[in-house]
Amino acid sequence: MRLGTRKVVDRSFTGLGIFSIALVSLALVILLTPIVVRGIGAVVFRATIEHDRVLMEHFERGNASTFAARNATAIAARAPVYEMLTAYEAQYGVDDFELEELREALQRLLGPAPDQSKPTLARDQFGATRWAQAQEAAHNVLYVQEWDYSDPTQFGVPVDVPRAKRFAGTPLESLFPYVSEHLDEMLQPHWTLYWGFLLDDSLDAHMFGGIWAEILGTLYLTIGAVLFAVPMGIISAIYLVEYAPDHWLIGVLRSCISTLAGVPSIVFGLFGLAFFINTAQVSKYFMAADSTGVSSKSILAGSLTLAILILPVIIRAAEEAIRAVPRTYKEAALSVGAGKWRTILTVMLPAALPGILTGIVISMGRAAGETAPIIFTAAVSVGRPLEVWQTLTQPTPALPWSVYNLCTEHTAADEIRHVQYGMVLTLVVLVLLLNTAAIILRARVSRRLAG
Amino acid sequence: MTTNPSIAPIGPGGAGRLAAPRSLLLSKRASRLRRVLALLGHGVLFLIASSSALAVIFIFFFIARDAIPFFRLEGFKEFFTGTAWYPTHEPPVFGALPIFVGSGLVTLGAILVAVPLGVPAAVCLSDVLPFSVRQYVKPVIEMLAAIPSVAFGFFALVIFTPLLQEHGGRVLAGVWWVVATPLVALLVFVLSDVVANWVVGEARHRAVRVLLAVLMAAAGAWLLFDVGGRFAALTISSGTNALNVSIILGLMALPTVVSVSEDALQAVGRELREGAYALGSTRAEVLVRVIIPAAGSGICAAVILGVMRAVGETMVVWMASGNAAQIPQPWYNLLAPVRTLTATIAGDMGEADQSAGSAHYHVLFAMALALLAISFVCNLISEQVIRRSALKNE
Repeated sequence: MRLGTRKVVDRSFTGLGIFSIALVSLALVILLTPIVVRGIGAVVFRATIEHDRVLMEHFERGNASTFAARNATAIAARAPVYEMLTAYEAQYGVDDFELEELREALQRLLGPAPDQSKPTLARDQFGATRWAQAQEAAHNVLYVQEWDYSDPTQFGVPVDVPRAKRFAGTPLESLFPYVSEHLDEMLQPHWTLYWGFLLDDSLDAHMFGGIWAEILGTLYLTIGAVLFAVPMGIISAIYLVEYAPDHWLIGVLRSCISTLAGVPSIVFGLFGLAFFINTAQVSKYFMAADSTGVSSKSILAGSLTLAILILPVIIRAAEEAIRAVPRTYKEAALSVGAGKWRTILTVMLPAALPGILTGIVISMGRAAGETAPIIFTAAVSVGRPLEVWQTLTQPTPALPWSVYNLCTEHTAADEIRHVQYGMVLTLVVLVLLLNTAAIILRARVSRRLAG
Repeated sequence: MTTNPSIAPIGPGGAGRLAAPRSLLLSKRASRLRRVLALLGHGVLFLIASSSALAVIFIFFFIARDAIPFFRLEGFKEFFTGTAWYPTHEPPVFGALPIFVGSGLVTLGAILVAVPLGVPAAVCLSDVLPFSVRQYVKPVIEMLAAIPSVAFGFFALVIFTPLLQEHGGRVLAGVWWVVATPLVALLVFVLSDVVANWVVGEARHRAVRVLLAVLMAAAGAWLLFDVGGRFAALTISSGTNALNVSIILGLMALPTVVSVSEDALQAVGRELREGAYALGSTRAEVLVRVIIPAAGSGICAAVILGVMRAVGETMVVWMASGNAAQIPQPWYNLLAPVRTLTATIAGDMGEADQSAGSAHYHVLFAMALALLAISFVCNLISEQVIRRSALKNE
């Protein structure tokens, strides 16, 4: 190769590396942007009067006078709609499929009609709570989706047909222009900051309300896992660094630790099910004697499973941190007459603490985000926030599991995308905050050890 | 007065003279007690430290305990060679081959994404970028490692799947253009130079060189447009398929690949680098001919660990792989929906009676045992490889 070519190849090789890093960063941005943007949309959004109504009726929150004023305007604006409906019914009767459909669409938009009895499901008691949902619901009022099969060589194409066509010449004809023009007055959209998304209970399987039960469950699971794993992890690390003889058994032990780190997370879940729940029945000891005695999922079992999962992370971090403490510390302590234990407890561990903390924080992030180990051991889809003492016997909803459950198994998965995005964002922020804390801690440690 | 010479130098003050040795030397009994206590403490420490070994043994034992009844009941042949997976039929059929193939396919896809992206990134991080830039790049990789798998799965299912389904061809073509254009340009440049040297030797036939370059560029452009057009013409009938999962899994395995291969590259000593530079090599030549071969085993270990990450991942494949237990036709067809071991365990354990010992319950444990065996073997190999490369570098 000519020298010039070699130079260019060299440059482009560098370029290749930078290109791949750029691609990775791009992937991260593509991944996080929709989650962050739409996740924030769960908390900051244009709410309608119906959102305020949910808050007033179920959470006793909100400014009563503003709500009353808004509600009055909204009711006044809605009145003509219901008048038209009554007029139509008087003329054509109630038994009408088309009317039935229209009433359903209107209920999705505005909530139940004033003359209607209160529905049992919370999701039917209120109209569209978010302006984006309201616009979609309004579209469904104005248009009917039909399938166009005119081209026999192609699949059917969905076409929006104005609903007004079906009611031409009836008192309802003017309803559709009215709805599209007075949507604002009927629903009173306004920007709102809904902190309750994080702190409220969910209502009717996340149709309304917040995700506090999930957040609390995740915190319980994470803290429980750390409580079990940290003492064991630190003691193991101390043993490996300070006491372990140079013996083949220790080699096996190290292999076991790295094997444990490589076990797929779903296998941990199965192990938790087979051991902690079916064999050891850990929660049975804490149940009342007269309870059915069937051991089932509990936060305790989930925490234990997660603890085994994060144990290798903590051992490795603690071992590294203890090894990084300068020899002189230890020698100085031993030389002034401190015993081995005293040296470890009062000199080595405090010096290694930031490093150990880094490991703990990273493992907390890991435990908070894991789904597979808690599927069979701790997670349920619907539940209320638990008290601390209930963690020993009760299963809990948790963020990672609920994200899965809401976007695959929920009956109205498309309607509650904002909740799903909000949950994912909460989880990602939680985990990334923990990791940022770890990075900062580590930077401090390295600065201290260097200085 | 003559006293015992051994205690004389201590000086006056009789009481202290006798007390000092007593506090320093323990009686035989106390010393034995202390030794016993120390041994006991050591034993307790060892027991706690071996809890992780205990955990591994327990995991193997409890998974195997529930897996063995399946093999006793149904035998090995159907499980490993059967292609029909109907666990809820009457009688049930447990042919898990399509599921093994599915796991293998998405893992292969993930490695095809993670290794070509990850190894150059690792090389760049360890040898090319200055420290000030590296400081900001490493957190990006770490963030990618930290994001929970369910968030990746959510992205794959809610954002990526509809995108693939509606604009599949254009998305693929776009990715092809972004990734392939720089590579093809580079290839054209190098190839035209090599061919020119081969044709005209070291002589300066400018016209020949330019002509060759133009020809090569035309060929490269044709390749770009042809393949790009083929991608653009693809329609993807279902967005939940092996391709979707492979890309996402590749991103998830990437941090492992990057960090382990970066460690391996760092472990190659300065001497090798400096020696190669001293012989007049450019950085690219040093890296490609010296450093990467020297770190080869470490990079292998990185790939194995990446494979482990991809095989063991549950949520993404469960949510976005389509969960169809069939062998894709042809086997490398990434656009077909697949089903993997992990997703089968996660998805079927709810249906299988959890406490009673149905065959369906036990077959899931058999799959877990297979997963465990795969990860165990991968782990052993990677450990061995890393150890050997560490020895070699010393």
